[in-house]
Amino acid sequence: MAQAATAPLTQNVLRDGLILPRTPDPAAMVIFGASGDLTARKLMPALYNLALNRYLPSGFSVIGVADTALTEDEFRAHMEQAVQKYSRSQPVDRAVWQSLAEGISYVRMPFDDEAGYGRLAAELERLDRERGTNGNRVFYLACAPQFFSVIVDRLGAAGIARAGEGWKRVVIEKPFGNDLKSAQALNQAIHTVFNEPQIYRIDHYLGKETVQNVLVFRFANGIFEPIWNRRYVDHVQITVAEDIGIERRGKYYETAGALRDIYQNHLMQLLSIAAMEAPPNFDADSVRDEKVKVLKSIHPIDVANDVVRGQYGPGWVGGQQVPGYRQEMNVSPTSTTETFVAVRLKIDNWRWADTPFYLRTGKRLPSRASEIAIQFKNPPHLPFAKTAVQELTPNVLVMRIQPHEGASLKIAAKIPGPVMRLRTVNMDFFYGSSFMVESPDAYERLVLDCMLGDATLFAREDEVERAWGLVDRIEAGWAAQPPPAFANYPAGTWGPPEVDALIERDGRRWRRP
Amino acid sequence: MSNSHTELSARTFVDVHAIQEELDQVRWGLHTDGQESEAAQHAAAEARASVLNLIAVVSNEPELGEVTSVLERLSVTNPSRTLILLAQHTREADKLEAEVSAQERTESGHRVSTERVILHAHGEPARHLASLAAPLLISDLPVILWWPGRPQFDSPLFDDLCELADRLVVDTDEGFDDADLKRLLEVARRQKARASIGDLNWARLMAWRHVAAQYFDMPNMLARLAHIRGVSIFHGSDGSTAQARLLGGWIRSRMATVGLDVPLEFRPDDSLEHGVHRFLIYTGGDEGPARFSMTRLRGGRLSTQIRLGDQELAERTVRLETRATEELLGIELTLPGHDVLFERALAAALQ
Repeated sequence: MAQAATAPLTQNVLRDGLILPRTPDPAAMVIFGASGDLTARKLMPALYNLALNRYLPSGFSVIGVADTALTEDEFRAHMEQAVQKYSRSQPVDRAVWQSLAEGISYVRMPFDDEAGYGRLAAELERLDRERGTNGNRVFYLACAPQFFSVIVDRLGAAGIARAGEGWKRVVIEKPFGNDLKSAQALNQAIHTVFNEPQIYRIDHYLGKETVQNVLVFRFANGIFEPIWNRRYVDHVQITVAEDIGIERRGKYYETAGALRDIYQNHLMQLLSIAAMEAPPNFDADSVRDEKVKVLKSIHPIDVANDVVRGQYGPGWVGGQQVPGYRQEMNVSPTSTTETFVAVRLKIDNWRWADTPFYLRTGKRLPSRASEIAIQFKNPPHLPFAKTAVQELTPNVLVMRIQPHEGASLKIAAKIPGPVMRLRTVNMDFFYGSSFMVESPDAYERLVLDCMLGDATLFAREDEVERAWGLVDRIEAGWAAQPPPAFANYPAGTWGPPEVDALIERDGRRWRRP
Repeated sequence: MSNSHTELSARTFVDVHAIQEELDQVRWGLHTDGQESEAAQHAAAEARASVLNLIAVVSNEPELGEVTSVLERLSVTNPSRTLILLAQHTREADKLEAEVSAQERTESGHRVSTERVILHAHGEPARHLASLAAPLLISDLPVILWWPGRPQFDSPLFDDLCELADRLVVDTDEGFDDADLKRLLEVARRQKARASIGDLNWARLMAWRHVAAQYFDMPNMLARLAHIRGVSIFHGSDGSTAQARLLGGWIRSRMATVGLDVPLEFRPDDSLEHGVHRFLIYTGGDEGPARFSMTRLRGGRLSTQIRLGDQELAERTVRLETRATEELLGIELTLPGHDVLFERALAAALQ
């Protein structure tokens, strides 16, 4: 017969040495907007894959909330179809799905219906009782942004989000506001019910393995950080290019544009992690403190000279003829919404003073590419006869987020032969071919992090507001200019002609990603 | 995206310098006169990635075929230099032959290149193959020694190769008896041992260990871990029982760190498939009796359930991967240094 341990256990000794994430506490996830596209395409497949790979705890439960007329069985069937269609692991394991589906229920209600929140509370209590979720809840707002405040308000009024037994967290999808004022108002509204550590503002870019790998690349390799500064770096180009148009999102895009859709979040996140100082550790606030410092250090942008906006006209992409933006569904034929934006900015700190950062994003560009390119300065003197420094392409370190995640370093090498001739070669590292494990979807990582209480890869209040402040400045500058002559770039090109002038006047050129 | 596999070269040599020269040629696509070929220019424009040196030891031709196929599949995700040693020291006439080849695979648009040397030796040279292997390794990259089957623990070749290697990988499911397990533990615990030990059988237990640990990640279950009364392991009775014993050794060694001696009950059953079939953890204490169970189901699944007293809590089904040898090897190749947990589990399994 075994005796009891000499002292109560404070940690799970069976967990030691397992190179796997800790398992979250049993919890219930309440998804507002459960009948929507995001739940079907991303959330439910992510939950299925987490369950399949043993990352979810026993008793994990999901309550779908929406105002769509569905029975519980119909909702489960709808979710099963979504998993069949969108899961990265195929074929779907029916037994694993059944096991997950046993914990899925559905509450039909309008998001502002007070009585509905009473039914939701009763369902959560049932799960605590029957499935051991112990008061732990994730409220996932996967609905249209106009409902964010009202949902949080009703959760507070119904006492569902009240501190007590178990933890309560809220996940908020982008867009988090549409300018600084609305973001501040939304933060204020959410803070009446949730404290900042309970709030998880999601930007799925941060869940991508290769975005995290930028941090590893920078801070786990001793050779790069010493040269990662104004002394050695000539400039930085950050590109988020899409070859697709706006698809069926015309209504949303008309109110957002490239500035709000990509620049405010994805581009600012990539800029922050490319330019930040090394955090003392990888905990949530240490990392986010450093990212916010970058945003605080951005020199006020001269909108007339340092920003270019564009809108695509008809053209050809990938051998297909495509319509212009103004011809897209749910778009005004006189729309002045930008589908392209390029910004030249500077960061006022010791590391980056006078080093320009060129950021660009756009739709219907020639190819899909997201990357951070660090272009280094040329050597001051080249001691090879008849080989002028100007003939050489500078060293460029490119960290590719998508597609073909990885890194490449462009270096000079001698072409064999009696004459000293130099040629530029690329050293490539493909992330996908160097590791056995298939990369999880960004949502899997972020949902798991939220359940584990790790907010490192989520945006903090001050981070979001700083980014909106930068957007507002650009919007104000545009408002002071005459209306743009849109469309000003044909689909399938790298933006309007002015974008070349933006960088060429500094004696530099855009990369072709 | 199309996938392709190309054998770039396959020639036979006997001299180490000739082998090295041929390796350079197949790696960089040089012509025999040392001039750059078109392939070389292409390679220079892309650079080659190699992540490790892998030495595999086989004892006969059929095994050579199987191991070669496994390593070819492994090379897709672990571009490496591979040396396969076919060492037959019991065959009398001395013989030493090397076959050098390079393979190029294109998977989803990514090109992966691997060089392979098969060293085939009879008689006395077979005992000294390590001296030939050493100069053929790519410098500064880790050396993994994979010994399929039961290693020849007493052979000088085994000792010499362990000296070269950073990690020795075996599969204790391949007929390891108690004496073999003891020898393996001795190798792991050798003074100044350079090579750490990896066991594919231990990697197969990852899911069982993960799920068992998950039970006690739950805050309201952690206290019960201090009151483990015993463990039962149901397993197939054919072939090696090392997997069941390692699982028992693992929980026993883990709980020993908090001063708890866990009784193990092994339940071999002819009707069960090979390997661990069911793992039960019983706890007692002030919170009452509980049983934490994990059961292997058909189709690569694991069913888990908690019983508190008479109450059955939520049951769930998760994946229990049936991994191919190259996948298990792939896991072993990414693990750093000595796996102290494995060594302690092995020691506890032998108690």
